[in-house]
Amino acid sequence: MISLSNIHYRYPGTSAPAVLQGIDLTIREGEYVLLCGRSGSGKSTFGYLLNGLIPHFFEGHLEGTVTIHGQDTKNRTVADLLSTVGMVFQNADAQLFNSTVESEMAFGLESLGFDPRKIAAKIEKTAEDLAIIPLLDRSPMSLSGGEKRLVAIASVLCLDPPVMVLDEPLAHLDWEGAKRIREVLRDLHRKGKTLLVIEQRMSRTLDDASRCVILGHGEIFFDGPPDAAWPVLDQEHLVPRYPLRRTVPLRSRETLLQVTQISHSIDRNPVLRDVSLEIKQGEILAVVGKNGAGKTTLLKHFNALFRPEKGTVLYGGEDIRSKAPSEMAAHVGISFQNANDQFFKNTVRDELMVGVRPGMKDAEEWVDELCCLFDLRGLLDLSPYRLSEGQKKRVAIASVLVTRPRMLALDEPTIGQDGYFLETLAGLLVSLREKGLTIVIVTHDLDFAQATADRLIILDKGKVTGMAIPGTPTGNAVLAEMGLRGPGEPVFTRGAANNAG
Amino acid sequence: MRDKGFDPRTRLALGMLGIAAVLITRETIPLVVELCLILAGLVFLRAGRLAGVLKLTLPLVALVFIIGIISFPPETAVRLSLRLFNLLALSALFFQTMDPAELGDSFRKMGFPYEFSFILTTSLRYVPLIGRKIRLIMDAQRSRGIDLRLRLRNVPRFLALLVPLLVQAFILAEQLAMAMESRGFARTGRSFRREYRISLGEYVLMGLALCLVAAFFAWERGWII
Repeated sequence: MISLSNIHYRYPGTSAPAVLQGIDLTIREGEYVLLCGRSGSGKSTFGYLLNGLIPHFFEGHLEGTVTIHGQDTKNRTVADLLSTVGMVFQNADAQLFNSTVESEMAFGLESLGFDPRKIAAKIEKTAEDLAIIPLLDRSPMSLSGGEKRLVAIASVLCLDPPVMVLDEPLAHLDWEGAKRIREVLRDLHRKGKTLLVIEQRMSRTLDDASRCVILGHGEIFFDGPPDAAWPVLDQEHLVPRYPLRRTVPLRSRETLLQVTQISHSIDRNPVLRDVSLEIKQGEILAVVGKNGAGKTTLLKHFNALFRPEKGTVLYGGEDIRSKAPSEMAAHVGISFQNANDQFFKNTVRDELMVGVRPGMKDAEEWVDELCCLFDLRGLLDLSPYRLSEGQKKRVAIASVLVTRPRMLALDEPTIGQDGYFLETLAGLLVSLREKGLTIVIVTHDLDFAQATADRLIILDKGKVTGMAIPGTPTGNAVLAEMGLRGPGEPVFTRGAANNAG
Repeated sequence: MRDKGFDPRTRLALGMLGIAAVLITRETIPLVVELCLILAGLVFLRAGRLAGVLKLTLPLVALVFIIGIISFPPETAVRLSLRLFNLLALSALFFQTMDPAELGDSFRKMGFPYEFSFILTTSLRYVPLIGRKIRLIMDAQRSRGIDLRLRLRNVPRFLALLVPLLVQAFILAEQLAMAMESRGFARTGRSFRREYRISLGEYVLMGLALCLVAAFFAWERGWII
């Protein structure tokens, strides 16, 4: 049994309010608890309390007691708790620090001092249970996102801890990867493990859990069965309420970007094969597909970061083969997945001004307009690194728009974001379209794509395999046929469900 | 576990002896003999994949040769480029037969603290990750109009690459420390699943290699021939 009583915690060196303010919670053996809350609500901090990282790794100020199986974590080190609480971190690249999957799984067992024969036996059993035997000799670096997540779980599972804490195990995964991990978690629950799964955005995991706990502003404000959680999740925007879509007739039928029969390989592996598509001026187009389908590679052809090995990319009728990406930025702005890849200035204002070219007309007015639209006025003097995930993403997208491109492309904009941000983003995309911008979204988040896009293009194994208009019966049929959605399966979010017709 | 026959310590010793031999050799004929031995080694170990890597070193070797021929007598230029090529080929061969974990294991077996060998192998594990990160940051910055092509006037703009890279490296370091702590890195009484033994044959082989190095040394000094 895990029990937390009257927990208050503040990270060292901050004057910000305590992250956790008076948490009381008891988790019984064999429960599957889903812990959710907006970004910055203290969910990960809660996880760190359970395996002793707080107070042994993070100093800070802790009040109250955490007991695991009757023992106070204050008196046990992280290493002591190793065989009781297994922690699977959000960043799989940090979690997997060995050179092969096998040594990854052996690491914890070696820490506990098991003899080599026992280590081999435990690795074999865990690898068999999770069906990852073919991966044992591979380097974690070479694995796909879903495989990395499985190996991260395996590295903890071979110690057979009765309690497992998983921080956002489904983030970064496409629907197939997520389905596999959900099966694994359900199976662990059946076998009697106590699970605490931390999720930022409500997902279909809710159906699997036996209990749902919702955190907000450092306090628990819901604790109960998953069925009863819906109204609270809805009210807290943990399920995104996408704005109702108005069908806006396209202003023109002019083609802005035309991709004809392009192919591209990376390290001699074909990633794109004969892909053709047209992007019309003023539309919102979503390119959907599984991880590794070639979506980002396709995107990089839109501003000449990649040049096609075969075929052409025309922007406004002109071949962009010989253009530099930094020149193309004035026409096509791409915002990639990780906002942190962009920030290098001390303030948000300076970060935005990076995109202003010498001689650009009305630059100040345009930046001001963007700040207003993206609600950045209060953040201008802050360091971009101090912002919340949602704020960072807003700054990152706005900074791409500073160069006044006619087309904006977003690479997996929903990853790592909470439901509240997704609603904001969906609204922003509509406003930007009204300003005449053409928008391309590359994503594996089908709900977001269907709620925002006028048209979906489905990419699979480097080929365009279909096109669908969301909300129409034929569109849904195409998605079902592609295996992206079951024939009778409703669209997950309420807002999107209303889009039909 | 990939089985490459020899204990990693044997491979390490052979690699070091090989490099020592190249470093003490200055004369043309011994250098050519070494080159032949290295090429034979490449064929013997079926390290065909290395051909591509070695091709990449050729421009560097050619550059050294050109500089040599301008500044020194032609014989010296030949020797300089031969030595460089031998050194590069041998290191490539060595790293081909040794994975980082084995290198770490052999250091540990030779009495270095576990932390030392662990840091060595872990940093090698993260080199490709950092490389990937650099490409992602470059793409992100070029897509917002920052010209990062290798030109003199772009040098100040490389802050746009360096700052995000450093910040994220620090974040990764903290997350890594957390993950290691949570898997018992700091715990005492660690066991090791791989057991190594150096066979008699390997000792003999190391002895032979040592004799070979001594022979090159003697040849170099003009004590034989």
